[in-house]
Order: sequence, then structure tokens, then C-alpha cells
Amino acid sequence: MSHAESAAAYAEARQQVEQRWRTAFENSANGIAMADFAGRFFAANSVFRNMLGYTESELYQLTFLDVTYEEDRKANKELVRELVEGKRQHFQIEKRYCRKDGTLVWVRNNVALVPGLGGAAPFWFAVVEDITQRKEEESARRYTEENYRLVVETASDAVISLDETSAILLANPATTRIFGYDPAELIGKPLTLLMPEFLRKLHDVGFKRYLATGQRHINWQGTELVGLRKNGQEFPVEVSFGELTKDGHRVFTGFIRDISERKQAQRAIQNAQAELARVSRLTTMGELAASIAHEVNQPLTAVNNNSSACLRLLANQNLQPDVLRRALEEIVADGTRASAIITRIRAFIKKAPAEKNRLDVNEVIGEVLVMMGHGFEENRILLQSELAQALPPVLGDRVQLQQVLLNLIMNGLEAMTAVTNRPRTLWVHSRIDESGDILVAVRDSGTGLGSESDRVFTPFFTTKANGMGMGLSISRSLIESHGGRLWSSPNSPHGAIFSFTLPAAAGSPP
Amino acid sequence: MTQAPVVFVVDDDPSVRSSLKFLMSSVGLQVESFDSADALLERKLPDAPSCLVLDVRLRGLSGLDFQRELAARNCHMPIIFITGHGDIPMSVRAMKAGAVEFLTKPFRDQDLLDAVRIALEKDRGRRERKKEVSDLKERFNSLTPREQKVISMVVSGMLNKQIADQLGTAENTVKVHRSRAMEKMHAQSVAELVKMIDKLESSVEP
Repeated sequence: MSHAESAAAYAEARQQVEQRWRTAFENSANGIAMADFAGRFFAANSVFRNMLGYTESELYQLTFLDVTYEEDRKANKELVRELVEGKRQHFQIEKRYCRKDGTLVWVRNNVALVPGLGGAAPFWFAVVEDITQRKEEESARRYTEENYRLVVETASDAVISLDETSAILLANPATTRIFGYDPAELIGKPLTLLMPEFLRKLHDVGFKRYLATGQRHINWQGTELVGLRKNGQEFPVEVSFGELTKDGHRVFTGFIRDISERKQAQRAIQNAQAELARVSRLTTMGELAASIAHEVNQPLTAVNNNSSACLRLLANQNLQPDVLRRALEEIVADGTRASAIITRIRAFIKKAPAEKNRLDVNEVIGEVLVMMGHGFEENRILLQSELAQALPPVLGDRVQLQQVLLNLIMNGLEAMTAVTNRPRTLWVHSRIDESGDILVAVRDSGTGLGSESDRVFTPFFTTKANGMGMGLSISRSLIESHGGRLWSSPNSPHGAIFSFTLPAAAGSPP
Repeated sequence: MTQAPVVFVVDDDPSVRSSLKFLMSSVGLQVESFDSADALLERKLPDAPSCLVLDVRLRGLSGLDFQRELAARNCHMPIIFITGHGDIPMSVRAMKAGAVEFLTKPFRDQDLLDAVRIALEKDRGRRERKKEVSDLKERFNSLTPREQKVISMVVSGMLNKQIADQLGTAENTVKVHRSRAMEKMHAQSVAELVKMIDKLESSVEP
């Protein structure tokens, strides 16, 4: 091969390499840019140019610092300096370019300083990846996370995360306020630390069963439970739980709300309602009494006046027969009027007609015990019911019988509020008595009736400070209107028994 | 000459009304009854000692309102309240406003009759005082201005000589005015004259 031939072959080979590089340069998915040692661009592929929005000639007027966003220049310069000083071979930087139209583009650059070879000057070589989308996603995620963190940190409810062993992974600041523990004292401890003794076992068993079977032992959305503060105080809480799986581990996050105040407000409302009902009952009774007094006093006044006048005239032997007759006629008319008023009032009192249905007495007792709700618990009273099975039905008015039972049970409860030196127990029994009637007894361990036992059924008689003295008298007439009897007897050794009977409904087996 | 005393009854209950009339007639009282306060107001009141037996609870104007209404009309007839269901505040209010008695129905007949007697007695006294004052006023008005001047100085304790000095007249002239005035006033002594003038002055309506 001649020298000329070899030179030509070499030139051709060189051109081929050159061509290959140019094609790679132009077709790269990333931007590629080269700048002289001073930083001025002298080559850039179309991806890079499009990324910045400059034409080739425009770009070659600029240095890389010119197109770097102001805030990112310092970091960029620092890395450049390290490279120049030979501390590193290349660097990677995430930074923003300022596009020709003024908008920003996030990029990750891999930068190398290509040393000068064979008289050629050294130059900068950068591979540029547009990471704007990733950055936006990152920032959105960070925003969301920050938001969640803020919500948890500032929540007024305790927020607690648990692992699969029910150990606490995380507790927010509200936890400190509500339970009295610092979050650090709680990390790694079992959740049961925050529960009173009686709930702990329940929780452990329920939690294990849930992990094994997926069956929840409580409703996870707003269940009312009892919490335990560090100082030993129990308080009502409302608990909601959620679950997520991360790297194959299950994490449970719970919101625990202190509902003491809400409970207190509810109780206050209930008390106010009860008080209102009592007062309005008293007012109605008072008004009724006043109106009865006025109505009946009118004819009585007339009767008194007329008879007194007759007596005076008689004493003076000055009573004419026709005057006497007229006076007596008026007296009779006023007497009749007074009794008509009383008949009217009785009709008014009896206005609500009783509705008699076949009822299961045990069912009625059950309903009343439900109505009493927390009445027993709150007064620390032990309830013992002993209800005979398969009682024949009675014919009665459900509401009236509930009223009687409620009255007897309330009386029993109130009779025990003063008792402190023995258990407060209320027994409710039902059975068939010797004559085939259904017998219901309410027995308490209260203060008993003593010498007053005969008088408790008298209207307006009361042993209570704020009683009306109508309950038992009304109860007795309700039971009597059902064909039964209501009586009291002393309980041994303490308290009283109120019993009533109701005849079994006709047609029921004896 | 004044007429026989009259008891007025206002009660909207006809049998109470008629029995009250019968009761009070039985002891010889003259009774007039009305079913409402308005009905009584329409009647011209007689020139006789009178009192009012009034039910607190009336249709229309209540008894207590009626009491105020009468006072506003310068009618000072004593009032006995009767009520089917009186309460304490109500009776206090009535008594403060000058009621003679507050009786709760049904009341003892004697209690009512006693109250009526006291009320009529009170009204008789009030009427007598009123009559006396109006007589005195009439007599005083019959005096000449000079006589009125002289006796007002007499009752203030001045001697004839002092009066004469102050009026710039002779002591004898003062004596003549004085004795004529005493005669017209029907006063037997200076002491009596002082009492008369006192009554006149204290009767001036506030």
C-alpha cells in the first residue's frame, strides 16, 4: 500500500468514526453539551438545545453559568472548582436551567473535564437529563407527606401507629396531652399500656384473632372504649383504626379521641331533660290543682253564702218560705255544679284510654331494664333479675306497665342512694303465684319504709325531698285497672319489696 | 241628708253574685251586683257610704286593674277582694293599694260581713271628713279678702296690734275684721279657728 493509499484509507476510516460519533451525539436521548475551559458552549445536540430553547448560534454565545438558574450557580461553581483542582474526575449535579423563555427546567448533569491532548485544549463534557417531571412528583409527594405529618402533629386526637405485635411505633404530641406519657415513653411499648386492666386481655385476644382471621373484634370506625391515663385515671375514648401493609409488614394507625367532655355534656343534657320533665309534671299538677280549686270554690262559696244567709234570717225569725225555697234551690244547683266539675276533671285525668294487648311480662321487664340504661352502673347498684320462663301472657297496656315498673325500680334505686355500708342490690323477680296470677316483685336493700309502709300509696304522701307523692298512688290505680293488686312489704334484713299481680290472659294454659 | 249605705258586688260568677247579695241582704244591707267592672263604672255612684266586694279574677279588666282604675278616677270607695285562688304576692299588691280585706273563697260569712262593716265605717268617716272640709272651704270663701288676710295672721299667732301695724290700719279695725271672720267661720275660739284652718290646709290635694 502506497503512502498515499494508506493516507486515504486512514482519512476514510477517520471520517467513518467521526460520522458514528456525530450520529450518536445527535440521536442521544439525553442532552449533550460541550463547553471550552472558560465555560462557553461550542457544541450541543438538539436535545440540549430544545431543552433550553436556544438556537445553536445563540447558545454558542453563552457559558454554562449563564443558563444555570441563579440559586444553583454557587453549588455548580464549587463542583467545577473541585474538578479543575483534580479532586475528582467528574461530578453529578441536579440543578435548574433557565430557558430562553424564562421558565425553569430541572436537569441532572454528568459532567467531565476532558483533558487537552496533543495540543488540543481541555473542554467540558456534560450529559444532561431532563428531570423536571421527577422533581415535580417528588415535590408533590413531599408536600403530601409534610401535610400528613402536620395533620398528625397538630391533631387534637392521639394518633398512634402499631406493628403486628401491637407495639407502639409512633405517637403524636396529642398523645402526651391526652394520656400523660411522652411519645418517647411509649415507643416500643404495647398499646395495652393505655387501657384499663379489663380491656387488655380483650384487646390481645381480639388483635391476635384479627391477625389470624381478619375478623375484627370491635368496629374500627368510632368505637367508644375506656382509656387509662398515666396517672391511673380512666376516661372515655372514641377509637378509630386503619391498616396498611408496608414491605410485607402490617402497620395499624389509630386515632384516639378523649370524649370525657362530650360524655359530660351528654349527661348534663340528660339530667336537664329529666329535671325539665319533672318540673313540667309538677307545673301541670300545680296548674291543675289551682284550676280545680278555683272551679270548685265558686259553687262552694255560693253554697256557704246562701246557707249562712238562711241561718241568719232563721235566727231572726225572718225567713219567708219562698226566700228559703229559692235559697235551697240555689244550694242544690251549686252542689250539682261542684260535682259536675269533679266528674269533668276525672274524665280529663282518665282521658288516655288504656290499650290492652297480650303481653309477656318478662319482655316488659326487659324493656324497662334497658330504659334504665346506665342507671344501675352510675349508682353502683347490682341488678339481679330472676324471671320465670314461659309465663302466660297478660292482657295489659304496655306503656302503663312500663310506667309502673319504672316507678318501682326508680324508687328502689333512690332508696339505696344513702346506703354505703352494705351492697346496693336490686332484685327483680317474676313468677306464677298460688292463684295462677303473674307476680312481679321489685326488692331493694335500701333504707326501707319503716312505719310509713301503709301511707306510701296515699296521694301526695312522699318520703323524698323532691318527690310528688303521686308515683305509687298512680301505680296502684294502674295495676288495679289491670285487675291486679300492688302492695309493699319489708325486705329482710334491709329495704322494701313492692309486688304486684296481674291475671293471666284468658285462654292461656294454666 | 245622706242615703243608706250601699255595698257593690262585682263577680262574674252568677251564683256567687246572687248568694253574696242574699247573704248581705239578710243582715239588712243594700246590695247592688254587677257581672263586670265596666258595668259598675257605667252606674252613677250614689251619695252614700259605700264599699266594693270585688273578685280578683274577672273577665276583661282584672280586679287589681280595676282597683287602680278607680283610684285614677278619684274614687276612693274601700275594696274587699275575694278570690278563688289567691296567692300571697297578689294579696300583698291589693292590700298595698289600699284594699280593706283579701278573702279566699269559700270564706266564712262573718269574715265577709265584718270586712263590709269596717269598709262602710271607713267610707262614712272619709265622707264626713270630706263634707266638713267642703263646708269649711265654703265658709272661708265667704270671707272678704281683708278678713281672710287678718285671720291667717291671727292663726299664725300675731297680736291685733302687730296685725294693725303690719297692715297699716287701726287696731280697732283689725278687731272688727277678726270678729266678723270668726262669726262667718262659726268659730267659738281662736283655738277652734286654728284647727279649722289646719284642716283646710291639710285637705289640699297633693
